[in-house]
Amino acid sequence: MTTMQVLFLFFAAIILGSAIKVVTTKKMIHAAFWLVVALFGIAALYAMLNAGFLAMVQIVVYVGAIAILFIFAVMLTRKELLDKGAALNNNKTIAALISLVFFGGLLLLLTNWSGFTKMAPDLPEGDMVAKLGEALVTPNAYLLPFEVASVLLLAALIGAVYVANEARSE
Amino acid sequence: MNQADFYSLLPIIVLTTWSALLLIVDLFIDDKKKGITAVLAAAGLALTMGLTLSQTGQTVIGFNGMVILDGFSTFVNTLLLFSGLMAISVAYGYIKRRGIERGEYYSLILFSIVGMMLMAQARDLIVVFIALEMLSIPLYVLAAIDNSNAKSEEAGIKYFLLGAFSGGFVVYGVALVFGATGSTAFAEIAASIATGNAETLLVLAGAALILVGFGFKVGAVPFQMWTPDVYEGAPTSVTAFMAAGAKIAGFSALMRVFATAFPDIAVDIAPVLAVIAALTMIVGNVAAIAQKNIKRMLAYSSIAHAGYILMAFAAFANPALRDDAISAGIFYLVAYAITSFGTWAIVISLEKEDGKGLAIEDYAGLGRTKPLMAAAMTIFMLSLTGIPPTLGLIGKLYLFRVVVEAQFMWLALIGILTSLISAYYYLRVIVIMYMKEGEPETVSESWLTFTWGAMAVLTVVLSLIPASLFAWASGALMK
Repeated sequence: MTTMQVLFLFFAAIILGSAIKVVTTKKMIHAAFWLVVALFGIAALYAMLNAGFLAMVQIVVYVGAIAILFIFAVMLTRKELLDKGAALNNNKTIAALISLVFFGGLLLLLTNWSGFTKMAPDLPEGDMVAKLGEALVTPNAYLLPFEVASVLLLAALIGAVYVANEARSE
Repeated sequence: MNQADFYSLLPIIVLTTWSALLLIVDLFIDDKKKGITAVLAAAGLALTMGLTLSQTGQTVIGFNGMVILDGFSTFVNTLLLFSGLMAISVAYGYIKRRGIERGEYYSLILFSIVGMMLMAQARDLIVVFIALEMLSIPLYVLAAIDNSNAKSEEAGIKYFLLGAFSGGFVVYGVALVFGATGSTAFAEIAASIATGNAETLLVLAGAALILVGFGFKVGAVPFQMWTPDVYEGAPTSVTAFMAAGAKIAGFSALMRVFATAFPDIAVDIAPVLAVIAALTMIVGNVAAIAQKNIKRMLAYSSIAHAGYILMAFAAFANPALRDDAISAGIFYLVAYAITSFGTWAIVISLEKEDGKGLAIEDYAGLGRTKPLMAAAMTIFMLSLTGIPPTLGLIGKLYLFRVVVEAQFMWLALIGILTSLISAYYYLRVIVIMYMKEGEPETVSESWLTFTWGAMAVLTVVLSLIPASLFAWASGALMK
């Protein structure tokens, strides 16, 4: 086994383990945090595939925005951060069956698949993430939208805290 | 960032800094003395207005074409800052009375105005979208700010969901336009369309989606459903700000986008806009007749007025009339903003803490008990109808003139007919005030009185010297 393969197995285990914890844990906030771990693991897989840009987008969009949104929603709306109902319900047999069929189908497709016939066009030379970062802080590129977005988030944050805080105090 | 970049956005930068500082300063202001926050917020708006006016007549392109400072943006920003000052003036006593006085109220108004001003200066679709969200999100929160009141919460969530939905339309439209032309900058989009490099169908679809998104914001038919509920449910001081500010910003962005990014497809879009304008005028005015609640009536009236302003867009197809159409449109926005703030100030004077006093019947007897207030209300109702001697009439005259010059006779006819219909429900308020017996209870609060008094005087006096105001509006050209 090469180092890459070891690393892959390591990250795959983390992703699968935390993904299972997402659906089995009873505490909502823990589920959200396990989701963050799983999403970070996927970002690591992208980075291993030399897709630095995708890895960064994965962290910024999924970890940075979506998971944080989950945590915000849970913290702002629930008094008790517990899910009291049973994790499994009567449909578990059917659900398991459907999942198995899909898993089998995907397995069949992937084993018979001959690989990519058409490759993505080559990206221009250089570090894409660095270029993106530069574009976000260059006045001639996207500095203005970037800065305004931060003010926008400030206004949204004040609004969210205000609305949720008042509703809870009653 | 060079000096031109900085200068082009100077008023916005100052106002943003001011609102952020206001949030911190507000922490040290005692809960009983939140009036100080209001005064500080107003001072920030006044300072920004001074800076904006000092930039009159200059044209500066900033941030590599993302924003522009020109006559149009100076005019619209001044109007927006005026709306902000009026919004604070009507809110000052009202939110104290309703028990929703918080320092955040004023900061959110300032943040919303920052978004509106950026919208008037935007020259790139990305900036347009971010400015749209920047102005909307504080408005969603303001609509729901009285969250002990179910109606206010309903207004907030309705406005938020439909606003987010319409924002989605705008993004989709921006993406299609970007796909067709390879750029989000207005100048490059226009150039790409003019040279025929762009896929016309994609551009048209993108422009239509952007139009739908802004149609929601300004309350044009068939995207107007949220307006009455949101206007009714939101605290009245918020409604007043929403009615004027959001409309001014939405229309100024529409004008800028369609005049500078899509001038070559204006011919294709003008008939669509004409039909939307006609429908908006008809639906707004006809639905207003049946309303018993004054806030709902004014909501439908605001829909109708959006229709009148949309008429200006029909004239866009003729390049020779483009500048006239823009001047007529922003002149009408000035007339509407002044009249509507005056009307809302009177509505707030009659509104009681428990949300009573909002039926049109509650105005019975106002002519006897409060002659001055009734006189001011009469002036506003006449102005909204378009009867002399008021600013509303002058605004309509300029609009109808461009529409007729653009050969849209049928549209002008619908405009006149719907104005006649609107006379029924506006004049009914006057009849109830003077002809019916009643003992209306009013709140005397100096800033409210100042607002409706000053707006009534402005409505009449400016209508006597329309030429100079129109000359200023005509100077407000896009570069």
